[in-house]
Amino acid sequence: MESEVFGASSSAVVVAHELKGPLSLSRQLALSLEFEDSLAGAREIGRQIATTSERALRQVEDLTRVARLDDALFEMEPVNPRIVCDEVVAELWRMFRFNRRELKIDYRNKRRLVVANRQLLHSVVYNFCLNAMNYGGEELPSLVTIYDRQGKIRIDVRDYGPAVPTKVWREIKNGFVKKPVDIAMRPGSSGLGLYIAAKFANYMHGGFGLVRHRDGTSFYIDLPVSGQLSLV
Amino acid sequence: MIYVIEDDRGWEDYYRRILKSYDLEFFHDGVAAIAAMDEVVPDLVILDILLTGPTGFAVLNEMRSYPELAKVPVLIVTSVTIRDVLARQYGVVGILDKGKMMPQELLEAVQEALA
Repeated sequence: MESEVFGASSSAVVVAHELKGPLSLSRQLALSLEFEDSLAGAREIGRQIATTSERALRQVEDLTRVARLDDALFEMEPVNPRIVCDEVVAELWRMFRFNRRELKIDYRNKRRLVVANRQLLHSVVYNFCLNAMNYGGEELPSLVTIYDRQGKIRIDVRDYGPAVPTKVWREIKNGFVKKPVDIAMRPGSSGLGLYIAAKFANYMHGGFGLVRHRDGTSFYIDLPVSGQLSLV
Repeated sequence: MIYVIEDDRGWEDYYRRILKSYDLEFFHDGVAAIAAMDEVVPDLVILDILLTGPTGFAVLNEMRSYPELAKVPVLIVTSVTIRDVLARQYGVVGILDKGKMMPQELLEAVQEALA
């Protein structure tokens, strides 16, 4: 899979390391049940194990999808981005809570539907949010924003991490993301989540990019507006 | 007082559970931890290596450059593979692999470091 997906052997190490994090935590949490006295505490550990395992599973699913993009299995359709973002936030709120973070959403778009693949768009927003969770502000919530921009709909997710180097910013801007290490630009980041998001965005003919702020970064995807009216 | 320098907050509850009889202070990056050491010198530092911001080795270097922090025992708990030789250079009291360690090993390593 490694050569098909990334074309670089070092990327297998990136994937292995990225998966080792949640798997190690799941194992340790399971082992720590012996140290928990209360039933409520044990239930909480169970929920954290489930949430952490789901994160690893989703990464595996996403990598499988990256490998199958060339098979053109993912049809484009009119998708309501608000619904997709709501689903992601609902899926991730518990993980954010376990990580003592907060995830919020802000709708500013007037146009309702984009042309996208629902599964892939879900993964793009999910990976943006995970990135934002890793680089959250101490007191500031990570924010998903949907808005209209130059005839397209932009979904961006704001983080509060270290500055993105100019070289990496240019590579992302010019679409030169070939493997995770291309965007492993910040300490503690393998670049895998953003690599997946970039691949999916490219498949959907969406613009993938980032905006640098004084105290962090917003990663975004721009998607074409669908001509169909939303019935939702 | 034990300082735990770990940027993945998902580990906090785990540490609190296993080391519940100890006074723990959490830091999510090395810069904040080093700054806090100006106020309170910890009895032990539990240190991850891949951190947001300076790496664990940068934190170790910084600590070892101050006489009052040079002797503070440091226990590395990380997902990355670290050679014992390298760790000995930095004078760490132990290295635990997040993927392989048992909670009891963590507890015993802490007890030993503080003995």
